[in-house]
Amino acid sequence: MIRFENVSYNYPDGTPALRNINMGIRKGEYIGIIGKNGSGKSTMSLHLNGLLRPQKGKVMVRGMDTGDFSKLQGIRKIVGIVFQNPETQFVGRTVEEDLAFGPENLCLPPMEIRRRVNRALAETGLEKYRYHSPKSLSGGQGQCVALAGVLAMEPECLVFDEVTSMLDPDSGKTVLERVKRLHEKGKTIVYITHNLEELHAADRIIVMDRGRIVLEGKPENVLSDPSLRALGLTPPSLIELAEHLKNHGVAVPWEKTSCPSSFAEEICRLFLKM
Amino acid sequence: MQEPVFSYVPGTSFLHTLDPRTKLAAVMLLGILVFRTESFFGIGVIFALFIALASFTGLPTGIFFRAVRPMLLFIIFIFLAQLFFTEGKVLASFWILQPSIEGLQNGLRLSARFILLLLFAALMTASTDPSAITCGIERILRPLPLRWLGVNSYELATMMNISIAFLPLLFERVERTKAAQASRGMYFGRNPFHSVPALVIPLIRGIVRDAEELALAMESRGYQGTRRTSMHELLMQKRDWASLFALVFFAALLLRF
Repeated sequence: MIRFENVSYNYPDGTPALRNINMGIRKGEYIGIIGKNGSGKSTMSLHLNGLLRPQKGKVMVRGMDTGDFSKLQGIRKIVGIVFQNPETQFVGRTVEEDLAFGPENLCLPPMEIRRRVNRALAETGLEKYRYHSPKSLSGGQGQCVALAGVLAMEPECLVFDEVTSMLDPDSGKTVLERVKRLHEKGKTIVYITHNLEELHAADRIIVMDRGRIVLEGKPENVLSDPSLRALGLTPPSLIELAEHLKNHGVAVPWEKTSCPSSFAEEICRLFLKM
Repeated sequence: MQEPVFSYVPGTSFLHTLDPRTKLAAVMLLGILVFRTESFFGIGVIFALFIALASFTGLPTGIFFRAVRPMLLFIIFIFLAQLFFTEGKVLASFWILQPSIEGLQNGLRLSARFILLLLFAALMTASTDPSAITCGIERILRPLPLRWLGVNSYELATMMNISIAFLPLLFERVERTKAAQASRGMYFGRNPFHSVPALVIPLIRGIVRDAEELALAMESRGYQGTRRTSMHELLMQKRDWASLFALVFFAALLLRF
């Protein structure tokens, strides 16, 4: 659905942000992109719907080149991005108006805009805040409004660019649950983060470092890869624990490492067997 | 938090249901009328019209006081200037000041006009959703050849919306910058001019960064600065035309006498 072909991009000061990236995202996939600050992951996300255009190579979204200005509106209808800071994403004075902003840009008729706004409100459980100012909401709810604003454009692919980094852990978890549910409903998800704990449910993880893809694969392989620490990333603690146990001859299967309770159950089961 | 001046009070009264364009036109018309009416009787009639409309909408009276209050000093100044510096029959004599009867009349008339203008404006903003007002302004401006000025009506409407939406964020940022500077030993009390650069420079940097993020988010949601539709459907209905017609009739009648 989305293809990067030999994409390179330099910051205005000349430092390379992306170096010769090749990758593809299939429809319905849940992709995690990780890397420490400055690894190029956010630059990559801005390339996904043509907010940045590659200086070399090209990015194709459903066969449309993001370098083609006449296709941009069509591309943004397909790929929506939720950004890190909820406060600077709001355009409207009320939640309702903010959600209408995207559909209004698509020049939809008023009836259709209302329908989409109502649907996005229902999907995110924000109906009771319809007439509230988005700025009066908490960080987690704010991020929900931002998500609803993108959902109102009914994109096939949703990009989340470090959406939890300004939230408290609880709201972060709620947002992550919501992402999972959207994936189950068939949306293509690109989830960008520097917190590896959040990527357990992904189909595929791409690790970036200094503008390059250095590691790519299924979470069970990537998250337990010994080179992660050298890249400045901390593997999830449960997976690290499982690795240590494996070195001592105790194998905890991958599925059980997603949360502490399933991990504990597995350990107890193994103990009882011994 | 203190309630802002000219805020919207949701409701379902007749005035609430009118098209924003009708109300904009009505306020303009009333503005002209107020400044064209010379007699105190005429001003009284307009004032009666305001009271009738205001009580009709059932809006809290507080909002009207709030609308006039910030301008009160200005109005008093105008009144006093008119009172003391108009030539005419001297009413009394204090020191070098000699208020005249003509001055008193002029002063009263002028201050009543300003107050009426503010009251009608408050009546409109209180009974109209701000986004509907911007939408109405956009629709009024649309036929004008604004592209000669390098903008279009859609851009103007978005600009109005965003500047209103971003004001609170701006104040919040000022507070945050102040706190950050104070925690590093900056003392704001002694010499306010001293602290201006230390406050303004990080503030502008922050605002520019916010604006950049906002621009990205807007572009990502398909904003192009060109034609866009609106969730608010504007339809001039019978009652809109009827109200405007009634108002024109009222104005003509009043100017006759």
